[in-house]
Amino acid sequence: MSQRTNLQIPSGVQCFYGREARLRREVERVIGDVFAGWSYEEVIVPLFDYFDVFARGGGPSLNDYIYRFIGRNGELLALRPDFTALVAKVVASRMTDRSLPLRLFYSGEVLRYQPPKAGQQKELFQIGLEHFGDGLEADLEVLLVAFEALDRVGANDAVVTLGHAGFVNGILEESGVASETRPGLLEAMRSRDANRVTGILGRQAPVAVMEAMGLFGAAEVLERASAIAKHPTSRAAVARLEALWGELETLGLGDRVQLDLGEVRSFDYYTGMVFEIYGPGVGLELGGGGRYDSLLGKFGLPWPAVGFSLSLDRLAQRVDDRKPDIAKELPVTTVKLKKERSKGLAEALRLRKQGVKVRID
Amino acid sequence: MSDAITLALPTGRIFGETVDLLMRSGFTLPEDVKQARRLHITNGEHQSSVLVKDRDVPTYVEHGVVDAGIVGHDVLAETNPDVYQPLDLGIGRCEMVVARKKQQPKGAYRDLPMVRVATKYPEVTFRHFHGHGIPVEVILLSGSVELAPVLGLADCIVDLVQTGKTLAANGLTVDEVLFPSTARLIVNRASFRLKGRLVSQFVASLAKEVAR
Repeated sequence: MSQRTNLQIPSGVQCFYGREARLRREVERVIGDVFAGWSYEEVIVPLFDYFDVFARGGGPSLNDYIYRFIGRNGELLALRPDFTALVAKVVASRMTDRSLPLRLFYSGEVLRYQPPKAGQQKELFQIGLEHFGDGLEADLEVLLVAFEALDRVGANDAVVTLGHAGFVNGILEESGVASETRPGLLEAMRSRDANRVTGILGRQAPVAVMEAMGLFGAAEVLERASAIAKHPTSRAAVARLEALWGELETLGLGDRVQLDLGEVRSFDYYTGMVFEIYGPGVGLELGGGGRYDSLLGKFGLPWPAVGFSLSLDRLAQRVDDRKPDIAKELPVTTVKLKKERSKGLAEALRLRKQGVKVRID
Repeated sequence: MSDAITLALPTGRIFGETVDLLMRSGFTLPEDVKQARRLHITNGEHQSSVLVKDRDVPTYVEHGVVDAGIVGHDVLAETNPDVYQPLDLGIGRCEMVVARKKQQPKGAYRDLPMVRVATKYPEVTFRHFHGHGIPVEVILLSGSVELAPVLGLADCIVDLVQTGKTLAANGLTVDEVLFPSTARLIVNRASFRLKGRLVSQFVASLAKEVAR
């Protein structure tokens, strides 16, 4: 291999150093501390596992992005494209004796084989949490933790858009949309492309499907949603969102939340509340998550769960603009060795014991 | 910034129609916009635009350096950006087609062991041919695609056709229509949330004009 080839890097990966590296570690530490402060326990999961784990945990929409490889014994392995499936597996295999709620967090890189566009790399850094437990309280807690994490890294102007996977699912059920047309339809709904939705469902596209795409805004959206929600799944979704919205308003967080019942998050495992986080100056979402009550069942443990992840890449990019004082270099004491080497080294050791940053010259 | 929205407008084929639509919808663009070579213009109090190549519109919008953009469906089909597409503007109507040499029978290229296709739309081409199980060699060109079959570089072409005159002038004919294409409004996912009110107003004012 030539020298030149050794220095080339494949597309979609990055190196970080200097301020950029310090900033990322700092953002990761600050958010990790917030998670720990809400009694989330860190879990460190492997970088690769059997392909089946991710295929089962992520559903078809993630499958296309998985890096696969064959192990020495012929087994099909994969680099992690997402943390949720791995954490679910750890819980289902090692933590079945724990009592609910169980709170876990993770941090690290995920790898997705996708064309690098719109600043998306193939190696993405995520930090996030999973809360295994049921009920409105769990959903609320997770949102509060997300808000605090955003605040602590200077993203207090970020907006959380809140929806519910059950709302659209119920409407599709009610409207009798065949399951084979759903993936394409959800894709079109995700783009708010009314044109393509009528293209798929025909001119007689159910009014509720068309209206769902426009259910975006503040509390009044819930009334409109209520009017078109006929299926019990949709009705339950609206009820849950009403309750969440009410609590968030009471806590003074109402102006940081928008409702968006037409949102269809691109992962297939969500069953309840879903949310996305957007901040000024970053064109892509800072993070997102939701409730996924059926995922653990796929690993043999029928526990409900809710969680989210934040993009460390995009948060660090924002922090850099807004908090120039974060991740500053510590003041340094220079120790000159010159002729008296052992004396100088002893001095460096003494300073290090006091916790002073030292540079030997 | 949040009291204004920025647009990316395509300077290519649909530029004239796009400018006309914006003006009819009540936005005041500079009078000489069609002639001047400026790349950045203001259209009224709450809006400004950058003028970019058609292909680059989705890139600007997806990155969020502009809030919204206007671009042909052909470009969206090729680039598949993760953006909202709330409105079909109905302008710039044309068709994405497979075209062959006039003297050849319809669909004859399908029987070739490997079809050589000249195009500016490699993704669209792969999706169509591979979708039908036909092996294809894409010959990527950036213009005058119609020449390729004439010179024997390709067996057929995949291209956007408005009137069919260029095809006819080069001895080609439409073999199959893949999809119709019109200009679309696209919106950045973050802007849709963070500038919700301004974006909805903008969508509504265009929608009103489109519906007329």
